[in-house]
Parts: sequence; structure tokens; C-alpha cells
Amino acid sequence: MAGSLKIALIGNPNTGKTSVFNHLTGLNQQVGNYPGITVERKTGSCKLPGIVKGNIIDLPGTYSLNASSMDENVVIELLLNKTDKDYPDVAVVVTDVENLKRNLLLFTQIKDLEIPTILAINMADRMDKKGISLDIPYLESRLNTKIALISSRKGTGIADLKELIVNYKSLSTEPCLHASSIDPDYFNKLRKAFPNELLYKLWLLISQDANFGLSHKTELMGTSFTKTRADLKRLQQKETIKRYQFINDVLKVGQVIDTSKAKDLRARLDRVLTHKIFGYVIFLGILMLIFQSIFSWSELPMGLIEEGTAWLSNFVLGNMAPGKLSDLLANGVIAGIGGVVIFIPQIAFLFLFISLLEESGYMSRVVFLMDRLMKPFGLSGKSVVPLISGTACAIPAIMAARNIENWRERLITILVTPFTTCSARLPVYIILISLIIPETKLAGIFSLQGLTLMALYLLGFLGAILSAWILNKILDAKHKSFFVAEMPNYKLPLLKNVGLNVLEKTKAFVYGAGKIILALSIIIWFLGSHGPGDNFSNAEEIVKGQQRPLNPEELDDAVAAYQLEHSYIGIMGKTIEPVIRPLGYDWKIGVAIVSSFAAREVFVGTLATIYNIGSTDNEVTIRERMDSEIDPITGKKVFNFATGISLLLFYAFAMQCISTLAITKKETNSWKWPLIQLFGMSAFAYVVSLIAYQLLK
Amino acid sequence: MDIQSIIAYILVAGAAAFLVKKIFFKKKKKKDCGDCGCN
Amino acid sequence: MKTTLAALKKGQKATITDFNIDAIPLKLLEMGCLPGNVVELLQIAPLGDPLYINVNDSHVAIRRETALEIDVELLDVASL
Repeated sequence: MAGSLKIALIGNPNTGKTSVFNHLTGLNQQVGNYPGITVERKTGSCKLPGIVKGNIIDLPGTYSLNASSMDENVVIELLLNKTDKDYPDVAVVVTDVENLKRNLLLFTQIKDLEIPTILAINMADRMDKKGISLDIPYLESRLNTKIALISSRKGTGIADLKELIVNYKSLSTEPCLHASSIDPDYFNKLRKAFPNELLYKLWLLISQDANFGLSHKTELMGTSFTKTRADLKRLQQKETIKRYQFINDVLKVGQVIDTSKAKDLRARLDRVLTHKIFGYVIFLGILMLIFQSIFSWSELPMGLIEEGTAWLSNFVLGNMAPGKLSDLLANGVIAGIGGVVIFIPQIAFLFLFISLLEESGYMSRVVFLMDRLMKPFGLSGKSVVPLISGTACAIPAIMAARNIENWRERLITILVTPFTTCSARLPVYIILISLIIPETKLAGIFSLQGLTLMALYLLGFLGAILSAWILNKILDAKHKSFFVAEMPNYKLPLLKNVGLNVLEKTKAFVYGAGKIILALSIIIWFLGSHGPGDNFSNAEEIVKGQQRPLNPEELDDAVAAYQLEHSYIGIMGKTIEPVIRPLGYDWKIGVAIVSSFAAREVFVGTLATIYNIGSTDNEVTIRERMDSEIDPITGKKVFNFATGISLLLFYAFAMQCISTLAITKKETNSWKWPLIQLFGMSAFAYVVSLIAYQLLK
Repeated sequence: MDIQSIIAYILVAGAAAFLVKKIFFKKKKKKDCGDCGCN
Repeated sequence: MKTTLAALKKGQKATITDFNIDAIPLKLLEMGCLPGNVVELLQIAPLGDPLYINVNDSHVAIRRETALEIDVELLDVASL
């Protein structure tokens, strides 16, 4: 947009960069993806003094322009490409006053790209407590920049920052370190060959793997300027040393720390939180709290949403002339939207906790505690939160994997989380267990039924861990992954940040996955309420002709059963019968399984409909009806022990949730992974159930 | 077919088209950025 | 006394003397893990891995396999 200033926010992680961004943009933020990759692209607009509009891009946190991850790559790709539409007019490097030395490394690199750069020193409110004092004019002159001393926590200094941004033209573009001092010989040759390019820029091109879309890269490759990886690293090391020499020199005068004043909260907290025993105990407690919140605290709002959806459905049915559209709206669209909205409480609670953990700095300690356990499975220490949350619901859990920086670890986490026993499986488990497991107590205390349930939970975890282990072996790791995790200072989470984060995640789910879920719900509605030929549409007459006279309720149930049987879904269920017979299932179970793709808990309701008791809600009635169902071919009970176990295992391992597939698609930016989940998990479930039934029958 | 059914079927077709578009449109946008030299 | 970072006990400080550049990520160097800087071992995770260190005012966690590649000279208490 002509007339607006393009600003890039850059900085180390944990410098409060997000808070600064939030201060500048408020609710005017947009989150998307960089094309083709799964890195979040955060932009926003803000009003600057003098009726100037600012477009701010919040670049992923990075420690240096030498990228070691996809996130960091994004930064360097943008800053080296003047033709990119996001290329900034001015850069604001956000630093933490307590970590100035290291933060300035990135600053000096950006200065060397000759982009007008402002140094924002954040967390100024902590200077007193830590005994830090700064000579701003000295720093400004040595670093060739203008400094804004801000506190995103208190909200001070933001106005000054905006002033500096608006006056960006007066910023010097002198570099801090002259790149040629890294290796004078080499760089002189470079300068002669490419006299019109920034030396430092050329250097970055040579030493990075990134794809810049600039022609020079191909010219440089295969010339005498390319070096081996090892040589490059040595030069990069030299560059780092030279930069730190410069920084130390500047800070020796520009920064004074009175250590007698400094109070070290971090050390004291770390002693407890990373303790051999207490560390884990506390972590376990926090995990249980998170689980508790997504499981039970969400119940009330979820119940309200369910009622609201049902009410809305009935309202539509009551106020519209009966017909296809009213049916679609009530049972397809509203049910579909309800199916999306109902996830909001769980997502909100989960991200509330995750935000608090990340903002406070505790999450890094989680990584420290869990890394050794998670690494053999290709998972990150941070994978624990999604895995545990998956026991409530996989959808928010998969979204939670977003804070895992390493893409491979994140992918594996996303793919295996659905194995954990989610709450939608519980209605299926409970009714099947009550049918096939006797009510006896082991040793007079342990209920056999309860133990079976626990065993199923355990199976879920084992399934997740095992598949992670397998994926770890087969997914190729492009480069050896090094582990360097910063342990930031502990901070009181800023509620504004937490709130904005929760809002953003919720919006992302509702608009992203929500659209897909809604579309799929409409399709499923169609398949369930239409059938080929006349059978479906003439259901009522056919049923009346077939049976003895029924009262209105019985007639409704019978019609519903007949229609389901002859709908497309019913036909699908019957078609797969030969395939599922070896697992011990008949076509009626087949229909219920197919319907479960909308949502697992639909299994029970679908069976009820097929058994002509669709209008009842009574669990006991449904159970008794299932218990009395006899298979015409074998003459035995349909829900016998072998079939029951086989079904339990099938539901434990099969991928049967369109919402999960939708969110996996969104988080991995591709259909490849959800499809792999669908076919892989279902194939595995099939085999396991098959073996179980054949062994037990 | 009455008007209700017509509208209903249009919506269903729309949902199907949306999903098909989502599956195939994505492939065009995706650069081969899986090998960005990361991790 | 010369040793590796991995051999330090909790609370010990040492000066970095050298390291195997091919086995250390650049990122760690950029955090400040450079020859001449002082490193302090703050915590060891229960299974011996990772190690939580303070170097150049940067508080980071690294794996034992990385720490093995960093040579250090123990600082005795008197010189602190």
C-alpha cells in the first residue's frame, strides 16, 4: 500500500518482541503462513505520529542471521531480498536490557545490511532491580543508531519508539563491523568481483543454504569463492568473535552493572523447578491441572453449546416448512457449525495454560526436564503437553504442537497425538466394556471393567510412543539437529499477550479447520439422508407395508432405521461388510463405524437408530438392545467377547475423526499428512482388530 | 424438485467444490520449500 | 586443571579453552560459548542429560554429547 511505512520487528526470542508488537498493533493483527511452509507470518498495522500508517511484520525470533531453522531462515530471506513486498523501510531490533551483550550480536549483523535500524532496549523496568545503568548517547554514537528505552510491561517508551520510526530517514546506515575484517584477502576479492553488492550480504549468501531468489547465488556457486562447510564455519566463528569483541568494547563503557544490587530470582526458581525430584513432581502437577481444565472445566460450556445447537436446530425445523433445505440446515449446517464451536472451550483453556507457561519462561524448563526421555522417539521436550492434552481431545493438542520449533519433532508429535485416548472414544469404550466385561472385582478391590479402561488408555500411549519411534526411524533428518535451548528469565506473564494469543488460536481454528469441518458435515449429511433408487424416499410406505401397525413413535424409529440402511452411508456400511466380517462385525456395525468418521461418539447413536430405537436417549435401553442382538448367520450374540475386544481395539487405533484430519491439514499445510494418518492408522487398527478377533473367537 | 431441494443441493455441491479446491489448489502454491536447508 | 565441560560438577566454573568446531553448532558460539569466556554449570538433568549452563550471561541447555566436545580449564575458587 503506497504511503505506509514498512517496519520489521526483529530480535532474539524472549525479549518481549511480541509484547512490543502487541503494543504497536493492538487488535489490528493478522496471522497467516509464509507460502509453502508452516512458519507463522504475523503482520499488523499501527498509527504513527503525523498521520503516517505503519505496516509491521513481526519476524520469528532469531539469535543471529546465520539461520539454523526454518523460522530463522524466513528472517534472512526477507532481509536479503529487496524485491520482497515485505522488505522493510526500517528495522526495529528488540533487545532485553538484561541480555544486551548477546542480543547485540543480531543487531550488529542487521546494521551491516545497511538497513535503517532502531535499537529498542526492552524491559527497562528491570534495570533498577538488576543494578544496570546505560549511557544512551554513548551507545547511540558507537552503534550508529537511535535507541528507544522501553518497557513493554509498563507500556513506557512506545511513543518514543514511534517517533523514531517515523523519522527513520535520519538514521545512519553505517555498518558496525566491516565484514571484510573477517578475512581481508577473501573479501577484497569478493569486492572486486561484485563491486555493487554489499559485502556482508554476499557473505551471507555464500555461507547460507537458503534460497533467496537472487541471481547472484547461482553465479557464486561453482566459482572460486565457494568454500567447504568446515571453512565456512571457521570464518563464521571468526565473525562471531569479532562481533563480540566490538560489543564487549562498547558495553564496557556504555553499560554499568552494579552486581551488589542484582537479585537473582531465576537461580532460586531454577533450583526448585529443575530439581531431580521436585522438578518432575511440580511438572506432573501442572500437567494434571491442564488435563483437568480441558476435561472437566470445559464440560459446562460444552454442554451449553450442545444445548444451544440442539435448540437452534429445533428452531429451524419448527419455523421452516419441512423440506430438504430445512433438514440440511438443521442436521447438516447447524450440526456442523456446532461441531466446530464445541471445541472452543477446550482450545481456549489449553492455550491459556500454554501461553502462561511460555510467557513465564517455565516451558524451557519443561524441555530441559523431558528432553532425555523424548529424544529417542524423535520428540521434543515440549511434546509432552500435546500428548497429555490429547487424552482430552486431539484437536487443541495438535494445535499446541505449534510451539515446538523443530519441524521434524513437531510433525512427529502431530502425527502420533491422535493415538492417545481422547474423550470421544469414552462413550464407545464404556458401552462395549459394560457389554463384554463382567462386573467382577479383582482381589475384591480392582474392578475388572475399570482395569480394562485403564488398559485402553495405556494402549493409546504405547501406540503413540511406538509410532513416534517408528517415524523417527523412517523420516529422514536432513541435517543433524543440534540442541541449544535458551533458559530465559522468569517473568510474570502479561495478560494482554496471553489473551491475544488465546484469541488468535481460537480464530485460527474456527476459520481454518472450521471451514473444512463444515463442508465435510454437509457432505456427510447428504450421504446419510439420500439413497439410490426409491427405497430411501418411499421409506415410510415400505415400512408400513412390511410391519404390523405401529404407534407414531415406533413408526418414526422404524422409518429412520430403514432410511439409514438404504442411504449412501448404509450402502457403504453394507459394502464393507465382507471386509469387516473377519473382524467380527456385521453390516450394522459397519454403518456405525462409517458414521463415526464425523465424530467417534456418534457410534452409539447410530447403532441405536439402526436397532429401531433412534428416538431414545436411555443408555440402559440401548445397551440391553445391543446385548440381545443375534447374528443371523452365526446364531450367536453380535456383541460377544471377541467382537467386543476387536471393536475396542479398532476404536483405539483407527483414525476416525474428520476434525482431527482437518486440523492436521491446517497445521502441516498439506493433505499428505492427514491422509497418511487416515490410512496408516486405520490399516493398523484393521490388522490388530483382525488378529484379536481371530484369536479370541 | 421444490425450491428447498434445489437450494439444498446447491449448498452440497458448493461444499464438495470447496473441498476439491482445497485439495488441488494447495499444490499450485506450494514451493518446494521443504528443503530450505533447515534443521 | 584441563577437562571437558561434560565433566564439570554442579556449580563449578571454568574457562573455555578450545572446542571441536565441527561438533559444536554455530548457534552455541553465537550464544557466547567462545574461547576465553567463563562457563558455569548450573544444573544437570536427572538422567545426566541435558546440561544447564551459564556462559557469557546466556543461560542455555545443551546435550552431553555437545558438552564433551568443549575443553575447559577449571577455575579454582581462589581466582574467582
